[in-house]
Amino acid sequence: MKKNTFYLLTGCIAVALLAILWYSVEVYRPPFVEIAFVVAILLVYLARRRVEDLIEDERSIKITEQAMVRTFQVFWVVFAAFSIGAVMQILHVPSFPRFGPPERPPEILPLRSLGYLQLGLLCLMIFLYVGFRIYYARKYGEWETDEE
Amino acid sequence: MRNKIKVYRAMHDLTQEDLAKKIGVTRQTILAIEKGRYVPSLDLAFRIARHFGVNVEEIFTYGEEPSQSPPA
Repeated sequence: MKKNTFYLLTGCIAVALLAILWYSVEVYRPPFVEIAFVVAILLVYLARRRVEDLIEDERSIKITEQAMVRTFQVFWVVFAAFSIGAVMQILHVPSFPRFGPPERPPEILPLRSLGYLQLGLLCLMIFLYVGFRIYYARKYGEWETDEE
Repeated sequence: MRNKIKVYRAMHDLTQEDLAKKIGVTRQTILAIEKGRYVPSLDLAFRIARHFGVNVEEIFTYGEEPSQSPPA
């Protein structure tokens, strides 16, 4: 398979995924888009293995690795901070007598807010990865030009 | 890490693209190594040296010392 065919196929898969997302929202069946997402990633992975003119050498692998590691290093701190907040809700059992007006336990995050939170985390992960990828690609001379 | 890939390429009349194809990497990788933006792995360094038929120390020198001219 040629590189351009692969990019075209990836674009078609992305459009199909968007259509499934739209349908999934319309009928309110989240598993549709969840399964479709996993299948789409598998299809892209399998198609990528069949590309003949796409050279992936040690420098490009290193750029990807470094970007992924840095993304993970930053993301897990943010993710852990939000998770600790959620864990606090199940740990909120007062052990000592309290004075003053009765304290209300923290409210469980509504499902819609949880969706926004997940969306924020997802966007953060994507922005971090793209940002670090650009940084390391620049560092390892991806856009260097020469007299040749 | 300093290297004389550019000099050896000129001696063998190879472009970056030619060398990249023979070594199995991208042209950007050869360019990045030549400009010192990327330090190749031992495997790649040996492959480059073997392609030019010299020892790896002839092409790659460790440290900041200025590169010497290649043997005639």
